[in-house]
Amino acid sequence: MRLELEQLRLVEHQVLGNPSAADAAAWRARLLADPELQADVEAQQQLYRGLQAVGRQQLRQELATIHAKLYPPRRRNWVRATVAGLCRTIRWSR
Amino acid sequence: MTTLALPTSTAALRHALRTNRQRTLTRIYQQTFPMVRRLVRQHGGSVQDAQDVFHDALIVFYEKALADTLVLTASVSTYLVGVSRHLWQRELRRRKRLPLAELADDAQELLISEALAAEEATASVLDYVAQLGTRCRELLLAFYYFQQPLEQIAADHQYRNVRSATVQKFKCLERLRNAVRSVLVETFTT
Repeated sequence: MRLELEQLRLVEHQVLGNPSAADAAAWRARLLADPELQADVEAQQQLYRGLQAVGRQQLRQELATIHAKLYPPRRRNWVRATVAGLCRTIRWSR
Repeated sequence: MTTLALPTSTAALRHALRTNRQRTLTRIYQQTFPMVRRLVRQHGGSVQDAQDVFHDALIVFYEKALADTLVLTASVSTYLVGVSRHLWQRELRRRKRLPLAELADDAQELLISEALAAEEATASVLDYVAQLGTRCRELLLAFYYFQQPLEQIAADHQYRNVRSATVQKFKCLERLRNAVRSVLVETFTT
């Protein structure tokens, strides 16, 4: 992978993966010494938070779809509705 | 007919949600929504209210299951009805403009508020994800939010193997980062 992609992978491993304790300690030391890296990490974390929010939106849509499939909106039977309407009209006109 | 039983261990549940989300969620929905609907209607809510609280409860459940922080002391349905009941009580208090203080002490309230609070946090990144194009967006969501197994992602998105899917995922992440960054730079320089 290109250098830029390797860098994304490295940060991801530290932020989302399970780095060993020694690994994490070395990483913290590196961050303290490198404000630019610190800014990169912050930017990448912002992306993950954004993706989390977009994923949640998609999940909401999927749940709405599941609901619509399980409980399709009942369509009123128009014949019955018309007959009921006519009966009401006749009753009123008497 | 195959059994409707859901996995009982959280590990199996997590696996089912990652590999077969739609079917697993549909089963859970089918088993649990009628109970939530009854509960909410008995306490002055509509079917739409029931649907709203149930979706929030499912999201809390789903994210906890994937993050491996879900603690189930009973069945999935019992858990979801409990969270829904809580959310509905909270909504009723909000509608009556009653203070939420009493609920806030509750451990479950903390758990739910925390889980749903993240929602507003990152509105700005949302637009850029929308502009990414379908392929990148789906790949990133499958990986980061839905946490599908890599083999499945590679197969679903027609990548030769896990490695090329992973490289593509980082390329998409880079595109997203650059889009967000260019706007930040513009804001600071103008």
